[in-house]
Amino acid sequence: MEYAIQAEHLVKVYGAGRTRVEALKGVDLVVRPGELFAVMGPSGSGKSTLLRILGLVIEPTEGRLVLDGDDIYNGGRPDLQRLRREKVGFIFQLANLIPFLTARENVVLPLELIGVHGRRARDRAMELLDYLGVAERADHLPEALSGGENQRVAIARALAHEPKIVLADEPTASLDTERGLSAMRLLRRVANERGTAILVVTHDTRMIGEVDHVIRLGDGRVVEKGDVLERPRA
Amino acid sequence: MRLALKDIRYHSFKFFTSVLGVGLLLMVVLAIGGIIRGVILDSSTIITETGADLWVVEKDKLGPFVEISRIPEDYYHAVEVIPGVAEASPLVMAWEHVARMPRPTPLMRFLYMNTLLTTKTMVEPGWMAMPKDQQFVLIGYKPGRIGGPPVIVAGRGIEADNYELVADERAGFQLGERVRLGYHDYTVVGLTKNMVAFTADPVLYTTLKEAQDVLIQPDPDLLRDRRRRYKQQTLPKEKARVPILVEPLAQRAASVAEDTHVVNAVAVKLEPGASAEEVAREIRRWKRLDVYPAPRQVNLQLMGSNRLILFQLSLFRALLVVIAGIVIGLVIYTFTLDKVKEIALLKVLGAQGRRVYGMIVQQALLMGVLGTIIGGVLEQASEPYFPRRVETTYGDIGQMLVAMIVVAVLASIMALRRAMKVDAPSVLGA
Repeated sequence: MEYAIQAEHLVKVYGAGRTRVEALKGVDLVVRPGELFAVMGPSGSGKSTLLRILGLVIEPTEGRLVLDGDDIYNGGRPDLQRLRREKVGFIFQLANLIPFLTARENVVLPLELIGVHGRRARDRAMELLDYLGVAERADHLPEALSGGENQRVAIARALAHEPKIVLADEPTASLDTERGLSAMRLLRRVANERGTAILVVTHDTRMIGEVDHVIRLGDGRVVEKGDVLERPRA
Repeated sequence: MRLALKDIRYHSFKFFTSVLGVGLLLMVVLAIGGIIRGVILDSSTIITETGADLWVVEKDKLGPFVEISRIPEDYYHAVEVIPGVAEASPLVMAWEHVARMPRPTPLMRFLYMNTLLTTKTMVEPGWMAMPKDQQFVLIGYKPGRIGGPPVIVAGRGIEADNYELVADERAGFQLGERVRLGYHDYTVVGLTKNMVAFTADPVLYTTLKEAQDVLIQPDPDLLRDRRRRYKQQTLPKEKARVPILVEPLAQRAASVAEDTHVVNAVAVKLEPGASAEEVAREIRRWKRLDVYPAPRQVNLQLMGSNRLILFQLSLFRALLVVIAGIVIGLVIYTFTLDKVKEIALLKVLGAQGRRVYGMIVQQALLMGVLGTIIGGVLEQASEPYFPRRVETTYGDIGQMLVAMIVVAVLASIMALRRAMKVDAPSVLGA
């Protein structure tokens, strides 16, 4: 079976000599298409480093990474920018919408980056905003939206270019429990209905009930892993 | 989607106040350039507008605007017959004054009060009192020959000796106004423009003969006194002492004192194709006079009387240009760095470098171009309110625009390079 994310023995070392820090010490994980996958762990456990490696923002020191069938670091220097643009969507703790663009324009942006312009891009953005329940706020600037609405627009932006993988970093941390659970259910629905592999980094144990699989990191290693829910796939 | 324009619209207050700041700074830089050009024009206008190719002056003197040169008026006839000379025109010129100041305008009052305030700790009481006399340069010329006002903007020119003046409009005279010069009243019959001396004092034109009367004829009381003293020298006891010298001395003194047929320079216009160097050599050889080509005459003023003020202003301008470049560069730099979050986001989303650079450089260019336009417009609008001539050309503004484009591009790229180095996920809170 082809995995959306397949990471083998990922190692990341920062600095050298006395300042050498081994942030990841050989992490293995696989995420299937349509799966909602959680990475947990305390601060300094390597969650952020893992997310950056999976998001192609930084390169691992060692290990193998296959995203959507592409063995990223095997053979030549990869065009990480292009791969990131085409294969990965990001959701941050804060929505991080561009403040001078409307909700719709924020969703159009990643489409324009892959060469989809004009009406096609706008229609796609509206479809997503509608899907996430914020279509009526499409022409508002982020400052006019609530925290929950901002996060939904951010999810729409992450999905706009139909990436196979979405990486979410503490997507519920800035929301209260109810809105946080609502956001996680939304991600769950997106994963199920669209077949997108969603990897969520979180330390919010209340949200664990919504994910399919979870691993716990500690000191740069996977210290615990397992299936959380046995739920039927959509 | 034009990210640059959307960002500007969103941050319009910040953007346009920054543009205004850049514009005001550039206005000052342009103005100091205009002031320098004004000094250069003031130093050269009379010479260039006269249209003379050569200036003939007394031997070993530098020129009529630099040193006192006195040559007999009729020498111009001899100069005119030298081969290659199309026209020779005798001129007199000197600083004069009238006991009158135009009623100060509100602007002049403001300038005076400003000077008074800003120099309060630098001067003694009375040093900065409002002047009561107006200075100008009086030029006497033969109507119909070169040396007169090059353009008449109001009234008419002078046609004959009739106690008439043509004044530069900066002197503040009205047509028909009577002006006391020497021992006669003159009527202002015409106005010219931009005819000022290197000191920026306006020029008044009259006929050669009347200017000679004003500038050279001594005071009658002084003349009477001198004649009386010469006569006293003819008393018997004096006569006994130096009998042979007394009478010729008196005659010579009286004749010198009353002879006004002296000019300061002869302006020479050459025939087409004539060699200025050859004609100058001929004049020097036959008349024992000094001759300067027009550019040399300008040079004598620019690098003579105005040398230090030009050096001073140019140094100040160079400092101002450097400071303005740094300040404007920093404005653009910080304006760009303020967008580090948006840049980080675009980077994480996989935006192509050219798209990020495009957004930032477009904004910086727009800021630089709008700032230059605002600076140019404000400078041009403010020129009439400066006390001396300030002249900035479109070429100056064009040069400034090119410099601003370079500064804007460099500053934005430097800021962007720094912004692109940041750890994007950290900036975005990941």
